[in-house]
Amino acid sequence: MSTFLEPKFLLTLILMGTIVYITYLTKRSATASDYFVGGRSFGWFTNGSAIGGDYLSAATFLGIAGLTYQLGYDGAYYAFCFSIGLTLLAIFVAGPLRRFGAYTVADFLAYRFHSRRARLAAVAVVLAISGFYAAPQLLGAAQILSMFFGTSYEFGIIFTCSVMIFYVGIGGMKGTTLNQALELWIRLGAFLLMVGAAIWGGLHYQDILASINEFKGTITGTASFTSDGKDIPFDGSVWTGTGNYFPSFWQTISMTIGLSLGTIGLPHILLRFYTNPSAKAARRSALMAIGIASAFFLFAVYLGVVGRSIFLTGDADPAVMKDLFAGGNNMVVPSTAQALGGEWLLGLVIAGAFAAVFSNLSGLFIASSGALAHDLYATFFRKNITEKERVIAGKASIIVLGVLYGILGLMVKEASIGHLVALAFTVAASTFTPIFILGIWWRGMTEKGAIAGLVLGLVSSMYMIFFKTTLPEFLQFNVPGIITVPIGFLSVYIVSKLDRKVPSDVNEFMKQVHSKESEAA
Amino acid sequence: MAGEYREYNYVAADTIDVSELEPLDPETKQIMKSEFSTGIKLTLFYYVFILSIPILNWYAGEFMFSRMWGGMTYSWFFTSIVAMAMAFVIALIHTTLYEKRLKKNDAEQTSAPADGRRIG
Repeated sequence: MSTFLEPKFLLTLILMGTIVYITYLTKRSATASDYFVGGRSFGWFTNGSAIGGDYLSAATFLGIAGLTYQLGYDGAYYAFCFSIGLTLLAIFVAGPLRRFGAYTVADFLAYRFHSRRARLAAVAVVLAISGFYAAPQLLGAAQILSMFFGTSYEFGIIFTCSVMIFYVGIGGMKGTTLNQALELWIRLGAFLLMVGAAIWGGLHYQDILASINEFKGTITGTASFTSDGKDIPFDGSVWTGTGNYFPSFWQTISMTIGLSLGTIGLPHILLRFYTNPSAKAARRSALMAIGIASAFFLFAVYLGVVGRSIFLTGDADPAVMKDLFAGGNNMVVPSTAQALGGEWLLGLVIAGAFAAVFSNLSGLFIASSGALAHDLYATFFRKNITEKERVIAGKASIIVLGVLYGILGLMVKEASIGHLVALAFTVAASTFTPIFILGIWWRGMTEKGAIAGLVLGLVSSMYMIFFKTTLPEFLQFNVPGIITVPIGFLSVYIVSKLDRKVPSDVNEFMKQVHSKESEAA
Repeated sequence: MAGEYREYNYVAADTIDVSELEPLDPETKQIMKSEFSTGIKLTLFYYVFILSIPILNWYAGEFMFSRMWGGMTYSWFFTSIVAMAMAFVIALIHTTLYEKRLKKNDAEQTSAPADGRRIG
């Protein structure tokens, strides 16, 4: 079979072709509203699919199953923590944020306080979170390319960044939303087929968990992959309990806090609620995204168990066994797809994995582009910018971001996708989450309080992530949410209480974001 | 359209001491109170469920990691199956209650005459 007729090439090319076609159809972004928020024209179904596409990144599509495959119960616990956030976002933030209705996350702070300083602090945090989130997505894309198409890691990073520059730069939010919605359904289709194939093949959840649980010894057929030439030892009773990743109760609680509150602060998710025509549609979009995400997480954990079960039996195709061993936890889904459904299912999963990466990255590019072009350039450097120039600045910023994210991607070659994303969630939970919850529901939040929350939340979370070993042992958390989230909330609260100077029009702001639907829509 | 983007006025807005703030108008206050009350009740219930899983895992591990269905333990079942459904159910209840309030608001607005007096 010609290389280009192999399912993995064919399906990936079809995906790319569709992206190009959608991007071409939506390339006309006449106004800044078209470019940054898609003209606020997307109904709950399209936007719900796009939010799902944005949220369910490579970390979900590849990482959750991979972490379950590797860590067992602790990996499933990751999925549990990720599943909480969108619900809290729907409850406290989605509706009011749409009623506010601007272009970017920083607009919220700028308007709440009439403050350029607050906007600047928000821009810094948007770029930090987006960078943290973008790097693992690029890592996933580069790994897929290198494993299944034989390209180098560096080529994978450059290729993916180039696609993103084209896709977001030309299509803007309109093209991005439609592409994200389509890409979500490709992924869901791939997962549904994998789950169907696993059940059809007799890999029933309760039975394979039992066989994994009872397995104690070495995995036959793995000796040739190890450096010491011995089969890999495995203890199923450890795998199905806690402790592979979380060494203590407090580590578990810290992770739960960081991940469950992180979603509320993710700029690319927050931004999506501006694209709905009304607050009611925003809430319905969130509900739909939660339904899709819940199904995804359920499938991802099950597929991680299936992957481990296939690996343990040791009788899968040698190539699959090698991939399950050498691919690391990020490549379990493609390897398991190959074992379950051969080349076509593998092809669909590879296309789905690209879809996951593109979908999430495009959201991050749009959010960061808004921060650079709209919040930084148009606010601080070119105050009297025209609509057209604003769109051009947005497109130019995509190129800058492509280069920056590419460099970050090159720096995280050996990392775990799921874990890096967990850290991005922690930074978001410690910075934007307090600002949005308190800013929407508490009139007493002041400008100084908000800036203090952003700065201290960002600095504390970054320090506890990058300089963990400099801290006393009891403060060394894998995901430091238990310390940094309270720092974020408390610094906003304490500084606001000391400052006491609130904008004189704060009541009007509250009225705007909480008004009756009929008045706002 | 209300809620559409507008350029913000960066001329430093006046600030006042929080104690001198006028009370919120009754309607906004009522909407906020009702929304927050629903949200916080659902969130508290949700977090009791969420936190009970790790607490039970660490302090009642024998029960949580005993088998309930084939090789599936109680812990695995609640973490990877029930929790996923719970995320959707909580959001569904919240959205349903919100839309109910919205319907009621719209009905009240439609039935109320413009001058505020009821006819016949």
